[in-house]
Amino acid sequence: MQPQDVTKVFAPKLGARLLGVDPFEGTAGRVRFERTAALEAFRAARDDLGFHHLSMVGGIDWIDHREVLYVLWSDAARQYLMLSTDVPASDPHVESASSVWPSANWHEREAWEMVDITFDHHPDLRHLLTPDGYAFHPLLRSFKLHEPEELEVKTRHV
Amino acid sequence: MGRLSAPLPSAPKIAPVPSGPVTDARGAELPIVQAPAVPFLEIEAVRAKEFVPAAKEALTALIAEQGQQKLIRPVFNWAGRNSLFPLHWGLACCAIEFAAAFGARWDAERFGVLPRSSPRQCDLMIVNGTVTWKVAHKLVTLYEQIPEPKWVIAMGNCATGGGPFRTAYSVVPGVDKLVPVDVYIAGCPPRPEAMLDGILRLEKLIQERKE
Repeated sequence: MQPQDVTKVFAPKLGARLLGVDPFEGTAGRVRFERTAALEAFRAARDDLGFHHLSMVGGIDWIDHREVLYVLWSDAARQYLMLSTDVPASDPHVESASSVWPSANWHEREAWEMVDITFDHHPDLRHLLTPDGYAFHPLLRSFKLHEPEELEVKTRHV
Repeated sequence: MGRLSAPLPSAPKIAPVPSGPVTDARGAELPIVQAPAVPFLEIEAVRAKEFVPAAKEALTALIAEQGQQKLIRPVFNWAGRNSLFPLHWGLACCAIEFAAAFGARWDAERFGVLPRSSPRQCDLMIVNGTVTWKVAHKLVTLYEQIPEPKWVIAMGNCATGGGPFRTAYSVVPGVDKLVPVDVYIAGCPPRPEAMLDGILRLEKLIQERKE
């Protein structure tokens, strides 16, 4: 699969909301699109291109905005495809992928608690690795280390 | 039928117990050692139903004679320190050393230390590993389920003060923020000898217990 094959599928469905298809590196391609087109992009990648396996969902904090990454794998093409969309730091919302790939559920919970990206229409957006009531997003660059005393939570009332 | 009707083998003949003085190989008479008189053990062989009132009577007489604190407390301390049952749970790599201490080489069971899987049967919690905030309230629940009297050993640097993860966002900087700790064991992880040393120090603490 080449970048032009990917563009051929994505361009009619997303229109101007498709921001570009980066040149492939090895077996991995990368598609950038606006966050309003997230659900259409997921369905196109799964139904039209055959990427049935969602390998991971990740978030990157670029200080002024945050980037959400979806890494897909196709058994037929033996190829990775990365979907990437940007969300502003003031309003970090994106549509959940768990209606398309159920395995996105826990990955999105982790991305939510670590880099504070809210996934709309997620079935169960709870804390995964940190305790309930944990008020910090530790993988944000604004998070400060060396303050263990401030991180104490009320353990007896969970 | 043939097998059942076969004659039974005759019972083996047992040599009779020699009466009179016992001599060794050279003909010298062996001394007879009298067991020292222990007031607890002066109860004769009785049925189980009769044992409880008999023991109660003997204990009541002893308490009236010697005083409760003086007699009962050392007995309880002695029994408690010789049957420390730690909770059988592991958090991190210290749990590997904890498990090795109960193997054939170190054999912690010779001190009466036997891990139990239910906190209701325990009186010792060995916190062996990194405690995260996620697991903190489970640790406190397990501690509160252990019946009194109970003790806590913080095993390794992580349980003592957070270890190398002290400044991490998810790690409790020392388990003494959650439960009262009696003995700290240093090491990353401590060897089974160090764990046994910690248990022996805890036994010393229990033996000196007054309350």
